[in-house]
Amino acid sequence: MKLIYSQLQKLLPSLNVEPQKLRDDLTMIGHFTNFFEEIEGEIVFDLDIKVNRGDCLGYYGLAKDLSVYYNIPLKKIESPLFQGEGGAKHLGVLPIQVSTDKVKRVMAIKISEINNTESPDWLKKFIKCHGNNPINTIVDLTNYIMFLYGIPNHAFDTAKSTDNLIWQINPSYKEFISLDGTKLELNSNILMINNLKKPLSLSFWGGEACAIDINTKEIIIEMAVYDQATIRQNSRQLKSVTEAATRLEKLLDSELIPTAFSHLIDLILKNVGGQISSEVFDYYPQKVSLPQIKFNYNKPSQVSGIEISKDFCVSCLTRLDCQIQDDLITPPSIRPDINIEADLVEEVVRFYGYQNIPTNEPVTSKDVPDITPKEIYLIDQLKDKLVDLGYDEILTWPLVSSSVDSDTVITTQNSINTESIYLRQSLIPALKQQLDQYQRLKLNATQFFEIGKIFFQINNEYIEKNSLGIYNSDINALRQDALQCVSNSNLENMVFDGNFVEIILDNLSKPNIYTPKTTDYNAYELTSQIITLDANVVFDKMQDSEKLIKDYSQKIGKNNLWQLVISDIFSDPKTSKFRYTFKASYFNLDDKTAKEIHASVFELK
Amino acid sequence: MSQDLEEILKQSIDKISQSSTDQELENIRVELLGRNGLINKLFSDIKDVPAENRKQYGADLNRLKQELESSIENQSNSVRANHDSPPPVLQKQNLFELPKLGHLHPLTQTERQLNALFKKLGFSIYNSPEIVTDEFNFERLNVPKNHPARDMQDSIYIKEPDYLLRTQTSTIESYLLKTKSKELPIRAAFPGSVFRNEKVNRSNHFVFHQYQAVVVDKGLTMKDLIGTMDLMFKTLYGPDIVVRYRCKYYPEVEPGVGPDMQCFNCHGVGCPLCKYAGWIEMGGSGMIHPKVLQAAEIDTNIWSGFAFGMGLDRWTMAQKNIKDIRTLMGSNLAYKPNEL
Repeated sequence: MKLIYSQLQKLLPSLNVEPQKLRDDLTMIGHFTNFFEEIEGEIVFDLDIKVNRGDCLGYYGLAKDLSVYYNIPLKKIESPLFQGEGGAKHLGVLPIQVSTDKVKRVMAIKISEINNTESPDWLKKFIKCHGNNPINTIVDLTNYIMFLYGIPNHAFDTAKSTDNLIWQINPSYKEFISLDGTKLELNSNILMINNLKKPLSLSFWGGEACAIDINTKEIIIEMAVYDQATIRQNSRQLKSVTEAATRLEKLLDSELIPTAFSHLIDLILKNVGGQISSEVFDYYPQKVSLPQIKFNYNKPSQVSGIEISKDFCVSCLTRLDCQIQDDLITPPSIRPDINIEADLVEEVVRFYGYQNIPTNEPVTSKDVPDITPKEIYLIDQLKDKLVDLGYDEILTWPLVSSSVDSDTVITTQNSINTESIYLRQSLIPALKQQLDQYQRLKLNATQFFEIGKIFFQINNEYIEKNSLGIYNSDINALRQDALQCVSNSNLENMVFDGNFVEIILDNLSKPNIYTPKTTDYNAYELTSQIITLDANVVFDKMQDSEKLIKDYSQKIGKNNLWQLVISDIFSDPKTSKFRYTFKASYFNLDDKTAKEIHASVFELK
Repeated sequence: MSQDLEEILKQSIDKISQSSTDQELENIRVELLGRNGLINKLFSDIKDVPAENRKQYGADLNRLKQELESSIENQSNSVRANHDSPPPVLQKQNLFELPKLGHLHPLTQTERQLNALFKKLGFSIYNSPEIVTDEFNFERLNVPKNHPARDMQDSIYIKEPDYLLRTQTSTIESYLLKTKSKELPIRAAFPGSVFRNEKVNRSNHFVFHQYQAVVVDKGLTMKDLIGTMDLMFKTLYGPDIVVRYRCKYYPEVEPGVGPDMQCFNCHGVGCPLCKYAGWIEMGGSGMIHPKVLQAAEIDTNIWSGFAFGMGLDRWTMAQKNIKDIRTLMGSNLAYKPNEL
């Protein structure tokens, strides 16, 4: 949601804080604002509005929140109210039908003899600041009102649409072309606005068939609030997220429609002229019923842990336009997200300020029964055992491209790609892939392991098992180490596959308690192959091998050296000298750089 | 086994049992089992044994070798148990190399660091299935069907709409509250893998890792929540970290709290790393929503709770200088055989 600072100030004339402070304050009260920027000479904020605050997808709702936070007045928008009989009754009723229960409220009116134009500069600038391209005055005004109040609306060119608008679930139309020319294939459950012959509009996206253009002379404008779940489903099914859909899929205030709708009519009449030529159509089958919430004024203090006075609670709730009768609170209709006491508590605490809650008083240690599942102790213990034995822990993908047993494999319905659709039934295939990858990287990986879940479907039940997979390049060591992990009596839980073994952990005996070791090992992201180079160095006398390795390692440096070993020591009887052969492995270096470093460190010609 | 071999075994085991360091043990191993060691020498002498006794002699030698290996291994474990950090297994193919170290995965290391903190505060470590029902992943967390909050998480379904891979560690909270609702108070922390239908690339993965902690007790407040979370961040990032706690929406908590860490790169001024906000989002938290507690049949007149969670992947990547999130799940993650 974009927010132009100067536009906000029209609703909050007393608002006078630095943009940075406004950004931070908006964020603190729940409207996350990453940054502000200058567009068209205006300061524009970019807000991330919470999914439960449809009201704040418009300036009006945000201004209301800020008026409470800063304790400054919210300016009322003054425009004549066009509502019900206040319209032009003598001109007749629009032949509109609503044949679905997915419409909560819709207001509509016809305006004739208009003279549509290019939008005035102020309107163009507003639309541009919100990231849209100006179209013409009528279209841009409908968008302006949507941004102002958070309620989408739409204008139909009656020369193309006729007056016979029908709100209905798609009767049988196969295709719809949107205002921008996008062709959509329609499902049967799409909420639409049609006439007797053709589709005109989706609930959240206008259609090309009745688009307003500069020659439009007569329009019907409508403003509606729908069942938000239907809009959400429609939008997702059609993979179309519009500004209108973003708003209509949230809980919106049907009671705000008359004000916003009247404002739109007023602006159209003022900017493109015209005459109202119908009665106001107002379909509102079930008036919003506001909850009465019993409120304990001590609750904000009890929940926050800091003292918040009853006076502050009353003041805050009053500024939010709640009706207060002793301990019964009725929230305003613009806040359909407030339904229970906890909602009111959050309102009071957020306006009091989370920043006033101390950050240095954590829960103190308490003797609470240990409910740690014993399998967690077993897993921790096994990991420590294997690390002690020199194994490295890896993690691999639980989604795989082939099954081990097609009878019991679990297939995902909407996997991340068309290949990795199965949940793994064994860790070994992934360990083999990891070994292949290490070999591609020319890494001499001698032993590694993974502990993770494997999955099966048996008799329509989904079964998860904890599994341990181990690889060792030395098959004898593998057997010995595997046996160290499980007692001999659990051999039936082990499956050997060459240099790999898999052990199902669920049947192993588990320790009653285990304290795992905390460590801080380095791990590296290899971006290229390991490069291993030999070097011979001759010494006059026998050397301390460990010291040699440490000295040369230091010369090469941690950021380049992967491993250094002495692969041979040759005592030359003729010269009485000792020739040491080193194998130095370099990582994340290109060949040329590795050779340069190698030659320099070992003083090779 | 012949008397000679029995004697060798006895003397060797005595020697092994007296060793107190890995180096001593390694020396003994080389002396007995190395390329030029005693056992290989005895094997090479087999040609001098009368033909009819060779089979028995070979079997005895193998038994001797196994017993010595086993004895060295046992002693090695015993020696390691007396050390703070685990000394390593030696590799044999090179003439001299530093010992091969084993490594825990960086995510395990981070999880353990947090587990250790929370265990000190009386928390248990918990877990639950990864294939879950809609009820536990959404409904019990105050996210009914068609709630827009479901858009925040693109699920991977096993059988839509009922079975899916858990999308958040809050699902573990659902199981915890359901199964332990009669055993209050509860303190539990849970690291876990979660799954979303995301395209896998350098920045996104379909499986990632979260850490969550939950407390249900009498008289809990936001002060407890924020204080505990702050302690966690200071444990991970050090005592000088600056964190702000702001209002944030999650359906399963109310009030909801979002912790942001002041950007370590620009110290709050704004830079590309923090998208010019000066702050980096660190996770989500809040007081457990009454509907969530009620779904577990917990009396909200007596008990209240708080929960907080954070992603582990980004933190771990920053710690280990890993630029590509795919590296965490296999692929190019590797460990140096020894720390030089």
